[in-house]
Amino acid sequence: MSESRQVVPAQRAWMTLVLKAGTPLVSAILAMGVGSLIMWVSGYDPAAAFAALFKGSFGGPKQFGETILRATPLILAGLAVGYGFRAGLFNIGAEGQLMMGGLLAAWLGVEMAGLPSAVTVPVLLIGSALAGAAWAFIPAILKARIGAHEVITTMMFSHIARFLVQWLVNGPIKAPGQTPQTAPLGLSGQLPRIPTLFSESTLEALPFLGLGRAHTGILVALLAAVAVWLVLKYTTLGYENRAVGYSPWASETAGISVQWTTVKALCISGALAGLAGAVEVMGVHHRVFDQFSAGVGFTGIAVALLAKNHPLGIIAAAMLFGALQAGSGTMQLEAGVPQKIILIIQALVIFFVAAEQIVMWFIRKRQKEAISGAE
Amino acid sequence: MLSDVITPDLFAAALRIATPLALAAIGGTICERSGIVNIALEGIMLFGAFFGTATVLATGSPWLGVIVAVLAGVIVSAIHATASINLRTDQVVSGTAINLLALGVTGFLMELWYGHPGTTEPIRTLQPVFHFTASGEGVLNEIWRWINGVFLSHTPIVYATIVIALATHWAMYHTRWGLRLRALGEHPRAVETAGVSVARGRWVAVLMSGALGGLAGANLSIEQVGVFQENFTNGRGFIALAANIFGRWTPIGSYLASLLFGFADALQIKLQPFRDVVDIPPQFFYMLPYVLTVVVVAGVMGRAIGPAAVGVPYEKE
Amino acid sequence: MPVLELRDVTKVFPGVVANDKVSFTLEEREIVALLGENGAGKSTLMNIVYGLLSADHGEILVDGEPVKIRSSRQAIDLGIGMVHQHFMLIEPLTVTENIVLGREPGRFGVIDIGTARKRVAEISERYGLRIDPDARISDLEVGLQQRVEILKALYQGARVLILDEPTAVLTPQEVRELFAVVRSLVDEGLSVVFITHKLEEVMAVADRIVVMRDGAVVGQTRPSETDEVGLARMMVGRDVVLRIDKKPVACGETVLEVRELVVKSDRGLDAVGGVSFQVCGGEVVAVAGVGGNGQTELVEAIVGLRKPVSGSIALKGNDITHASARSSIEVGVSHVPEDRHRRGLILQFNIAENLLLGDHRVAPYARHGVIKLREVISMARKRIEDYDIRTPSEKVLGSSLSGGNQQKVVIARELGRNPELLVAAQPTRGLDVGAIEFVHRQVLAEREAGKAVLLISLELEEVLSLADRILVMYEGRIVKEFAADEADAETLGFYMTGGGGTKLEATPPEASPAGAGVGE
Repeated sequence: MSESRQVVPAQRAWMTLVLKAGTPLVSAILAMGVGSLIMWVSGYDPAAAFAALFKGSFGGPKQFGETILRATPLILAGLAVGYGFRAGLFNIGAEGQLMMGGLLAAWLGVEMAGLPSAVTVPVLLIGSALAGAAWAFIPAILKARIGAHEVITTMMFSHIARFLVQWLVNGPIKAPGQTPQTAPLGLSGQLPRIPTLFSESTLEALPFLGLGRAHTGILVALLAAVAVWLVLKYTTLGYENRAVGYSPWASETAGISVQWTTVKALCISGALAGLAGAVEVMGVHHRVFDQFSAGVGFTGIAVALLAKNHPLGIIAAAMLFGALQAGSGTMQLEAGVPQKIILIIQALVIFFVAAEQIVMWFIRKRQKEAISGAE
Repeated sequence: MLSDVITPDLFAAALRIATPLALAAIGGTICERSGIVNIALEGIMLFGAFFGTATVLATGSPWLGVIVAVLAGVIVSAIHATASINLRTDQVVSGTAINLLALGVTGFLMELWYGHPGTTEPIRTLQPVFHFTASGEGVLNEIWRWINGVFLSHTPIVYATIVIALATHWAMYHTRWGLRLRALGEHPRAVETAGVSVARGRWVAVLMSGALGGLAGANLSIEQVGVFQENFTNGRGFIALAANIFGRWTPIGSYLASLLFGFADALQIKLQPFRDVVDIPPQFFYMLPYVLTVVVVAGVMGRAIGPAAVGVPYEKE
Repeated sequence: MPVLELRDVTKVFPGVVANDKVSFTLEEREIVALLGENGAGKSTLMNIVYGLLSADHGEILVDGEPVKIRSSRQAIDLGIGMVHQHFMLIEPLTVTENIVLGREPGRFGVIDIGTARKRVAEISERYGLRIDPDARISDLEVGLQQRVEILKALYQGARVLILDEPTAVLTPQEVRELFAVVRSLVDEGLSVVFITHKLEEVMAVADRIVVMRDGAVVGQTRPSETDEVGLARMMVGRDVVLRIDKKPVACGETVLEVRELVVKSDRGLDAVGGVSFQVCGGEVVAVAGVGGNGQTELVEAIVGLRKPVSGSIALKGNDITHASARSSIEVGVSHVPEDRHRRGLILQFNIAENLLLGDHRVAPYARHGVIKLREVISMARKRIEDYDIRTPSEKVLGSSLSGGNQQKVVIARELGRNPELLVAAQPTRGLDVGAIEFVHRQVLAEREAGKAVLLISLELEEVLSLADRILVMYEGRIVKEFAADEADAETLGFYMTGGGGTKLEATPPEASPAGAGVGE
């Protein structure tokens, strides 16, 4: 008896870990399983597809760099959606705030071309965050004051942002030439690629640093993740955010302003989405064009859900989705599978995470097997 | 200029544009009345539009396309029903997943079946039901021209939608189904204790909304546009939900609200040739329905109260 | 042959045995009281009979035939009806629509509303339960809503009627009326199970009494063979002090002063219509009244959750009429909310986080917007110790605590702040005897420490045993004030229902909206 009792704490810790990380992990695996099934039914070879996918995302430093490149805005978009969720808000329109952030970075980046990087980069980042927050502000106010559902309003604002960008790149801030796009940022506003930070000899000595197109925006994303984690855990702002998310009534009773917390949460969410737009523009495109956001805001929803809104979990979830995106090109090229399969897998991930029961059933079955196997 | 804008065409276009919105909005009404939020309507429409188009491309029969579109809507909504009723998933999250799934699956199948992304080949569309001509001079002819132009120039689903709006509205207040539906969204436990299955009632409602969403997709592809384009529902599912709110969770209300959106959109299209006169970029016209949706949701909310138990998973203890 | 018989029914929830081999019989035309504390397993047992829960073991027999009841539909078909503690009525629908729901008359799915209305009228005529068949439920007061519930069961053809805590929301007068209805139902051939935890009701209405404790039947008796003290001992398993002795405490300075306060309800009507009173240090003032007579709005106005329309509220002479909930906490108003799960605590927060609510911005728990986790944890451990919260650690989630322990967390938080004024709204609702005693002792300890206590309660027993003064609230006004030793339950009940000189006295009892809420 005493022996089995000693086992209990260890088992408990294992259980908590399984419950915390297990469900998302199993969800991701299940989603890829169903994705394979779809590929197989469609006449593709899933094994070849995933092999190509892996090659394209983790096959070498350059490929891994591509994964990081894709994960960078996804971390920020995931944080944006996740922070909203923690306040009970579903910022389905992160995409729009992202566009506004990117737009501001593109405009300021051109205007500030002559200034030193040390000035330009922070100004662009802060400006983009403010632009994203501003775009979330009206839905936030409408939610707080009138109760207009943020799912509808932020979604609509996202469509409005799309046409705003379309108009601007076709007219007012269009660069000379045929293509409807803005002029490139000045060098001072660009986030340098990671390999450019090192000398030739260093890169030769340490080849894993040759991370291809990956840029320093990843540092911004990682810092933001840690910051959000600290805010949620150790500040009154985060405490009130979580309290309102769980129970607006109890929060109100405890003297927390639900309206003000809602506005803050949605604006912070918008600011994070705006940063996501900024790193895309400053690190990858160096300009803005129609639909430059490429659905990153929506993928952020899947990222946040997969991570169960945990800021550090979001890093891992974004890496997974980043890898899927980075490898999808190779997959199409080598195994012929349309890249859209990635969207399907994302949707399935959301399903499986949300419908925890299915996943729990799998986990429990495994546990039962493990327990009966141990006996 | 005014006489060029205010034409029978304008109102006919309003009716036409309102149709998919109204179908989805009525679907949303039925679904929310049962206590289930359905933001998946966007994706359901896309599924319906795609499979409807694919069927017409394969068989050449628009009617078969409509049937398949409706079936596709029902099947997809069954996923939403399973998730939100049986697995008690967050309904908004499940809806989001379906919307994403719709983008993925339709895009994937476009490439698999037609070898390219983007737009399909044009299909045979459903034609207007009536073919009256209107010519000649005089007041009576003018009136006839208006009646014919506004009301008698439409394709079958446009008329079907009006019938559906009236029929579901009547049914909601006069039938056993309607009474139970209205009760379900308010106090599911009371329905259970009256000996009626909550799960079954909600399943039926979600499947009905799926059928209506599928039909809305069929209207878009097989009646209006004549092709399938990736993501061409463009937020209509969300606008439909706003119309449902504006219509105060009633089918006729949803229809009338959709008509308002339809009119705004039709006006926007009508005004485009005069762009040079007023010098407004087209994008501002494109924004109009979305801005209107925000205004409507913000303006009506707070005064309009939805079903009490909407969005709350029901657990049979 | 009994109309209903249960044999060895067992129901296990995760961690609790709710029913442990319970056997129970109900004879025809019999009123059996199922007596027990909150959490004794009475409702679980009857929910099993009504098909809302399924038993893990055991048998149910109706008219001697073994039956399986898997849904309410089957229970209804077997002639079993149930009036739930929380009414199962759909507020926006009419009386008729609610009653016929599930068995709507008509053909081809179209409801014949004329026939439905006629049948409802017939039944209400036959049993003397008069009601307007076209009224909306939301417009009816609680007593009439209960009547609709009973009519619903009768319409469905119930021969066995289960009443789950039917008197919880009624005044003594309405309770007497209900008892009369129950007896007439029995005369018409029905059999009744009456679930309650109130001793005097059992003595008044039951033919036979079945007592449950901790999920098991611990005894059976008849009113003629026992008394309230004996029943209480059976119910709790030990001797119970039915009244608490209070030390005399001298009234200190005036702590709370409310003047001509007018507060609107959510529907925009005057819920509190010009109320004035004072509470001084060392005094417990109780507001007695039927639920929905403005108590909730009064409390919300005092603690800063609702803006008063006019009038004033002062704490120790300082005006707090327009104070927010936050500043109200800061000046020393503590609040034990009536709805523990909704407003009292956050179920997904752990105990430490719950104990921090309201103090999460102030030193020593927070500085410059940063929460000092170490301070919070040591505070939490101290509170757990001081208030005897039964938990292995401060990291346990609120949702995994029992009702009594949840309330201890709320009280620990509110009293740990050392307030000037404690506003306690129905602080013992749904608690077992042990927890009720704890809460009562805490309230009296505050009084002895010279603090002011405003107690809002629907339980007259509680009001009478704790209060120094009693204010009776009816339709948003204080209609009567008593010193504690001048009042008894009967008199309080009389004033609570608008007796004693208000406009409703003259109307005949049948049509009287006695005890009506103000929201009409």
